[in-house]
Amino acid sequence: MNMLTVARPRSLDAISALMSDGRPLHFIAGGTDMLIAGRLRPKDGILVDLGQVAELSGISVVGQHIRIGAATTVARLAEDPVLAARLPALSQAAAECGAVQIRNRATIGGNIAEAAPAADLLPPLWVADARLEIRDHDGSRLVAIADYIASPGRLITAILLPDPDPAPKSGFAKLGSRRELTISKLNLAMLMRQEGGRIVDLRIVAGAIGPRPQRLKLAEAALGGRFLSPKALQLFAKALSDEVDTAIPTRSSRVWKRRAIVGLGYDVIAAMTGHSPRHPLFAGAA
Amino acid sequence: MKFNLTVNGRTAVVEAEPLEPLSTVLRDRLGLRGLKEGCCEGECGACTVLLDGAPVHACLTPGFQAEGRDITTIEGLGDGPGLLSGIQRAFVEVGAVQCGYCTPGMVMAAEGLLRANPDPDDAEIRHALAGNICRCTGYDSIVRAIATEAASRNRVSA
Repeated sequence: MNMLTVARPRSLDAISALMSDGRPLHFIAGGTDMLIAGRLRPKDGILVDLGQVAELSGISVVGQHIRIGAATTVARLAEDPVLAARLPALSQAAAECGAVQIRNRATIGGNIAEAAPAADLLPPLWVADARLEIRDHDGSRLVAIADYIASPGRLITAILLPDPDPAPKSGFAKLGSRRELTISKLNLAMLMRQEGGRIVDLRIVAGAIGPRPQRLKLAEAALGGRFLSPKALQLFAKALSDEVDTAIPTRSSRVWKRRAIVGLGYDVIAAMTGHSPRHPLFAGAA
Repeated sequence: MKFNLTVNGRTAVVEAEPLEPLSTVLRDRLGLRGLKEGCCEGECGACTVLLDGAPVHACLTPGFQAEGRDITTIEGLGDGPGLLSGIQRAFVEVGAVQCGYCTPGMVMAAEGLLRANPDPDDAEIRHALAGNICRCTGYDSIVRAIATEAASRNRVSA
């Protein structure tokens, strides 16, 4: 009879050994997605608990990168001072993810592998050009987060973030049906570098307007190379709305998301630049 | 599978299914019926317990993963057999309990908050309770109970 057995490996090597076992593997970290009532749970194979592997947990600066173990909890991300300084967009997304009970259990690797269209950690990781360290029975390799596709038996072991000096500005904002413990109906991350006030590097990624995060290149082009001005921000606002029209042309939510995304975009820019969202810069908001 | 759980300072051997939630293990196998199962999907917070001092949903935590950790349930808070702890007394005195179903989870979330942040303001209290739903009180009395208890703890330690 097939049944589910539990393995509690203590090292990545022990996980690799399980990968050559031949039985189906089901990885579990925090369990906040797997245990939800009504979801199908694995019935046979090996349930591999990731909670005992020290290499999978924690945040460290390694050379030119920040390395985040895939089983690092969302709560830990939200309170980490290095991340808050280098990639505030990720800290902010982590702080707004679920409720404290979920943040204490849920992990960054789980958020990526579950690949929910509304996943809050994905847009910040996309704008930061994160790479994922993936391990399967063939060994270990790096994959750009935008190229990652979850598949059974394949484990994310770490997330690598480039750590340029000086750190770029970044920010995150989301909208759900309520303020807290809410699945995003729309979320947005931006990463921006300015030289003498001019925006020289800009990446914008939105979630919950498609099956996976969307890079908003029209909106990037509208602001890229410019100084922040009411005129530039109006062009930016129009580009953001156009992006929504293109992404979800037939969805009824298009009507409000094309306006809401402008509010999120302005909020993120205001937070990144230390302005109030009521600053005259943003007066032209739709 | 068989594993050890340390609950409220006592260790017990438990036999449970691999993905059996900690909430079921605590209620049905160990007889600790204080925590409640409400939604079983991480929305209501009625099953909140402390794992190494931090609030978690017992319904979304596999029981076996709590092995080797310190589990605190509402039964473990009291200042002695049959006695309430400060936070429990504050809930009673302020009248932060109506039907009572959410209360054990609310109290554990509050206890977790006060251990991490002994002097929270109202916004921080509400933020910490975002994962706990109450359909009776309207929350104001709960926030007041937690603020009252925080003030009293700070008086004692000052």
